[in-house]
Amino acid sequence: MAVAAPLGGYLMRLLAGLMMGASLLSAATHYLTVAGLGGEPEYEQRFSGWARDLDKILKTVPDARPETLSGADATRARLEAALKRLAGEAKPDDLLVVMLIGHGTFDGMEYKLNLAGPDLTAVELASLLDRIPAKRQLVVNMTSASGASLVPLQKSDRAVITATKSGTEKNATIFARYWVEAMRDPEADTDKNEVVTALEAFRFADQKTAKFYETQKRIATEHALLEDTGKGEGVRTPSAENGQGLLASRFALLRMGAAGAAALTPEKRALQNTKEDLEERIDQLKYRKAAMATSDYRKQLNALLVELAKVQAELDK
Amino acid sequence: MKLLVLLLLAVSAWAGPAEDCWAQRKRGRLAEAGSCFQGLTRSPVPLLRAEGFWGLGRFSDANDQFRVAEKMDPKNAAVKVRWGRMFEERYQPADAAKLFEEALEIRKDYAPALFGMALVASNSFESKAVEFAGKALEADSKLVEAQELLAYLALEDSNPEKAVKEADKAIAMSPEALDAMAVRATIDWLNDQPSSEWIERILKFNPRYGKAYATAGHFFVINRRYEEGIRYYRKALELDPELWEARAELGVNLMRLGEEEEARKHLEIAYNAGYKNAATVNSLRLLDSYKNFKTYKTPTTILRLHKKEDEILAIYFQQELDRAMAAFHKKYRVKLGAPVQVEVYPDHDDFAVRTMGLPGLGALGVTFGYVVAMDSPSGRKPGSFHWASTLWHELSHVYVLAATKHRVPRWFTEGMAVHEETAVSPDWGDRLDPTVIKAIQEKKLLPVADLDRGFIRPSYPNQVVVSYFQAGKICDYIAQKWGYDRLLQMMQDYADRKATPDVIRGRLGMEPAAFDREFLAWLDGQVGASVKGFAEWSKRVRGLSELAKAKKHDEVIREGLAIRDLYPDYVEAGSVYEFLSEAYLAKGDKAGAMRQLADYSKQGGRSPATIQQLADLQIEAGMKKEAAATLERLNYIYPQDPEMHRKLGSLYLEAGNTSGAVREYRALVGMKPLDAAGAHFDLARAYRAARKNEEALEHVLLALEAAPGFKPAQKLLLELNAK
Repeated sequence: MAVAAPLGGYLMRLLAGLMMGASLLSAATHYLTVAGLGGEPEYEQRFSGWARDLDKILKTVPDARPETLSGADATRARLEAALKRLAGEAKPDDLLVVMLIGHGTFDGMEYKLNLAGPDLTAVELASLLDRIPAKRQLVVNMTSASGASLVPLQKSDRAVITATKSGTEKNATIFARYWVEAMRDPEADTDKNEVVTALEAFRFADQKTAKFYETQKRIATEHALLEDTGKGEGVRTPSAENGQGLLASRFALLRMGAAGAAALTPEKRALQNTKEDLEERIDQLKYRKAAMATSDYRKQLNALLVELAKVQAELDK
Repeated sequence: MKLLVLLLLAVSAWAGPAEDCWAQRKRGRLAEAGSCFQGLTRSPVPLLRAEGFWGLGRFSDANDQFRVAEKMDPKNAAVKVRWGRMFEERYQPADAAKLFEEALEIRKDYAPALFGMALVASNSFESKAVEFAGKALEADSKLVEAQELLAYLALEDSNPEKAVKEADKAIAMSPEALDAMAVRATIDWLNDQPSSEWIERILKFNPRYGKAYATAGHFFVINRRYEEGIRYYRKALELDPELWEARAELGVNLMRLGEEEEARKHLEIAYNAGYKNAATVNSLRLLDSYKNFKTYKTPTTILRLHKKEDEILAIYFQQELDRAMAAFHKKYRVKLGAPVQVEVYPDHDDFAVRTMGLPGLGALGVTFGYVVAMDSPSGRKPGSFHWASTLWHELSHVYVLAATKHRVPRWFTEGMAVHEETAVSPDWGDRLDPTVIKAIQEKKLLPVADLDRGFIRPSYPNQVVVSYFQAGKICDYIAQKWGYDRLLQMMQDYADRKATPDVIRGRLGMEPAAFDREFLAWLDGQVGASVKGFAEWSKRVRGLSELAKAKKHDEVIREGLAIRDLYPDYVEAGSVYEFLSEAYLAKGDKAGAMRQLADYSKQGGRSPATIQQLADLQIEAGMKKEAAATLERLNYIYPQDPEMHRKLGSLYLEAGNTSGAVREYRALVGMKPLDAAGAHFDLARAYRAARKNEEALEHVLLALEAAPGFKPAQKLLLELNAK
């Protein structure tokens, strides 16, 4: 889980740790992936390919409950049915992740997700999501014009990510390609704790998307946004300054390796407490870094990190 | 009735009082000229008022009056031409050309309009300038300005003999042909004569005619003799401090030589005086942007890199700069008198500012004495150029210019530079492209004695590209037939101001025409097969693309193998190599695909994705040494892909090449990747392998600072602390 420095110090880490601990014990994560209408064979292949890749990744994750609708299955009726079923199945402690791939449209008033048959508006989608008891939700709308869906979808305890900054960015997007990559590339897990958070995945996909346009020497036609307070404006770079990103930084999008399994035994609880204590002290030290002599900072950091490494080694035995 | 009188006055206006005012100015009688122009502003004739305001430097008022004049008499070609001349003077060539064209629609052979067109073409180094000036003279044999321009154009065309003839004609036409005299004076100075009778004649006529020195400044600059050019611009300003164009040029050229403080001073003075042409404005902007650059210095080099990429580029550019300078020092036997400054621009527009106003320069790099400016690999689409090849090319210029004291024809210094590129490695340098093939087929290669014209005043699109190729091949040919030392001897001849025909005769023992014949025969042996095979290749490669689309892999392989070597130099998008490798891969024949991609790379293919694909296949086949060499080549093309550095670092680490691994992982860290912890950890591992434990500890701490729970880094930290 990434609790990035700009989002706060050790208190944030502690909070986040506690929340994660809770979710590790009992919660499940429900994933619903929708690859909408491509219109042309090239897009059909691209969208359903990304959806297939996501589905494959999620099927390997413990406690994950993935469902994927693509091609002819991606109809309004099937999507509504899936969300209604989740409204019955999901528990309040569960996590819900909805990922939308494809084309979206915005007529100046309303965003619509292009599906086989009738489309679905952002307002209609929000209404269906509101009925799902899972308290923490993540909606990743990776379609063109998806920026227009941000306001209708935003809600307290729901992080919303859109591939475009507005409804006027209408070109087909590639953000989804890098979102999929974030879920399988260890590089996305920037704090190396074997959990990719929504914030880490957002930053990864956003940076890779920007790089794509930069290296192709093309004008970027998509600028992703994140909003997770339920009331603010979507931002390009979540930080403590703009108040965005806290929920996303705690939202475990994907657990990899040991972190996926790990319920702590009582014997290791003491070690875990020591570990958390050391992590807090490291955060405190980092907070004081600017006011310290470099050599002193380095010495203290080394000492704390060595202690932490030893505790981790014990925990891993 | 009043309107009719005004119209009649307007028609003959230019021949009257306005001309007198301009003549006063030309004679250097500025006070009298000022009063004269002032008087014109009170004229009832709009065209005269326009001339008056123009002469006083009140361009906006002049513009208004020209507009009134044109409205009153829309079919008056003279009004349009005078208005156009003001636009031309005020660096708005498009508006000027439009007015000249309108004038020519009214009067087809109107000499002043034809001359206006010649001026516009001349400013952008277009070959049509000569044609327009000639037509203007045909229409009016007394148009001295046109005759003077022909002299100027001939000198730009590196033809001083013709320039002298044309200038003398102008001087015979008018004893006031100061610009023709300036051309004569310039020729004397370019020939290293310390004084010239022509400047004395000019100054006798007008002691403040700084424009004569500015003309010399221009010619020294386009002959790459920047320091002398600067000296003449300074002289121009001593005589006439309000010669804004010369002041701006002085600023631009000081900047080219790295004298930024003084450059800014002159550019700002020109700008504040209203001289806001593109070169002045963009140069000032570029100077402002230097705060975003970081400078790396060694005793012999100065490297200026943009802060957004300096950490990674410094690694590779410094390494290559040192390597190239060591090689050239040995080859050219020249000791440079100052450090070489290399500026690398990630924004191509910034780089373009550096080349403004210079004809026939390659679009990737440019050399001004000891200063080299070039595009960054990030400034263009990845794979579109080979930065190291460009760097060596430009550094070759530094040495050739130093060895010849800048007295070298353009074709020879470009030829040497192109020759040096492929001398480093055959896959460097430019490939035989369709433009060149077409030029060879149409027999458009120039005689060696005239090759400079292909750079300075190209007569067909892409002639500059063709001329680079031809010049490079000529140097290849000389090196192959007579030995590399003969090129150095020719260089010495140029330093002694010998002309190309004499150099060819003296050093190669033949007439230039005979040399051209022999060279073309040799060139045919080099590229004749591709030139002959090109048409068939072009036709069949389209079919190959269709076969590939239809996934007819066997047929792609059969046809691809049949046509690939008809034109093996083609390694751009849609190359036969790539079609073949895709077909082999589709059939599960990875070795076959690898062979094609290896040939693609060997031929100079530069697509990063394709080269990465080759490296991946080599890794998969256990050919790790070859994979490392493949990726190492990519470093010279596009070093800004973190994944490539990670891969190459890993290969080097595994092979025990710890210094290579450290370099690659340093590059990775320098790119400030999202996964900072992973990059620092990799670098720590490389340092550990190189037994540099202090550095290893530093980077493992940086890794863990970013990600305290990073287990492999924790393990390394414990190991390092146990030591």
